[in-house]
Amino acid sequence: MFRSSSCVRAFTLALLLVALSVAEAFAHCFVGPRFLPATLATDDPCVADELSLPTVQWSKTGDQPPATEWDISAELSKRITEDLGISIGDTWSQIHQPGGFTAAGFGNFETTVQYQLLKDGPHELALLLGLVVEWGGTGAIHSGLAEPWSTLTPTFYFGKGFGDLPDSFGWLRAFAVTGQVGYSFPTRSFDVDAGVFIPQTLVYGGSIQYSMPYLKSEIRDYQLPDFINHLIPIVEAQFTTPVANNFGNSPITIGTINPGVIWVGTYFQVGAEAVIPVNRASGTGVGFLGQLHLYLDDMFPSTIGRPLLGGGSSAPPQQLKF
Amino acid sequence: MRIRILIIAALLNIVGAVAAQAHAFLEHANPLVGSTVASAPREVSLTFTQNLEASFSSVQVTDGNGARVDQGKPQVSGNTMRVGLKSLSAGTYRVRWQVLSVDTHKTEGSFAFTVGGR
Repeated sequence: MFRSSSCVRAFTLALLLVALSVAEAFAHCFVGPRFLPATLATDDPCVADELSLPTVQWSKTGDQPPATEWDISAELSKRITEDLGISIGDTWSQIHQPGGFTAAGFGNFETTVQYQLLKDGPHELALLLGLVVEWGGTGAIHSGLAEPWSTLTPTFYFGKGFGDLPDSFGWLRAFAVTGQVGYSFPTRSFDVDAGVFIPQTLVYGGSIQYSMPYLKSEIRDYQLPDFINHLIPIVEAQFTTPVANNFGNSPITIGTINPGVIWVGTYFQVGAEAVIPVNRASGTGVGFLGQLHLYLDDMFPSTIGRPLLGGGSSAPPQQLKF
Repeated sequence: MRIRILIIAALLNIVGAVAAQAHAFLEHANPLVGSTVASAPREVSLTFTQNLEASFSSVQVTDGNGARVDQGKPQVSGNTMRVGLKSLSAGTYRVRWQVLSVDTHKTEGSFAFTVGGR
């Protein structure tokens, strides 16, 4: 276990150093004229050079009585080629039980490899495949905040803007949806310590979003205040449903619905969402989720904002044609 | 724990040293996006949030039948791109633009405007 943990950390550091030192350019999630922002609770359908630092969540667990939980996480995403990207991330959590007991520590390291299947500009459609790996034994196992086993989640992501609807649809064309579906299976089937089966789960979610920047630049400029023109109101939802190897555990789907808003700037975006549990097993009361998200490709267009391979900074830009 | 703190410090370091160019978003258009104008404009003017590479930025204006009504090569100055128009009759026109900001980020878009009370 120690060896595995060291390898993951060494890989992470090496990755970061490479990301800091090398150089091609282009976008975060642009699909034709549509910009899909980085979503807070789910993932957007593009590979990109981005940094979410921090993402902060406050919520109350579904325990009886409920515990108070803080989660602070960071995630760095980096393109290897124009269509292939990787991400590394980790979360520090603190859970305070009523009565004074507090557990705190890091969760397991998480890495993601993603491949951009499609970016169809005229139809504002993006498709992405990914493999999320939570590396067992790299977090605070003894605090109960991480598991000793790893979890693999092959995931399909999509995003679709409705700007290709006829002009007669007017302001409705500023809507877009994103979604993801993954199948999560642990590398162990039974937790000997707790004496329970470890279920395989379906992990799915998505967002519906309304782009004020799109309304202003593609449909109609109502000359609203600049601040309003940078907003993307959004509702996200995320769910986990046990589907196999769940003997003796609860079969209940857990999840949250998160209404909120994202402010999109030139170099970064800021998002805030309420976190509403869909049932008692998912949490107690309304929580909060906030994120500062940095566009590395815009901040560092000639260095770490470019894919590591597939083009150099000296390459001339492609001639634009109609 | 020490490794994680190092990584977070490195990430914060990234945030600390910012360059200064980005994707060029359409900030303002004349005629306004989606507007109806009483008299035919003589040009379309597009202002972006970033300076543009003139050689790799273009705009075309078409009528309801898809026929070009612009006068060809646009003029680019800083973050503004202009293109002259032929004499327009009443009707709806579509502006399609594609630009490259000075740091090689591409963006594109389109919008309609209407001449006359149609």
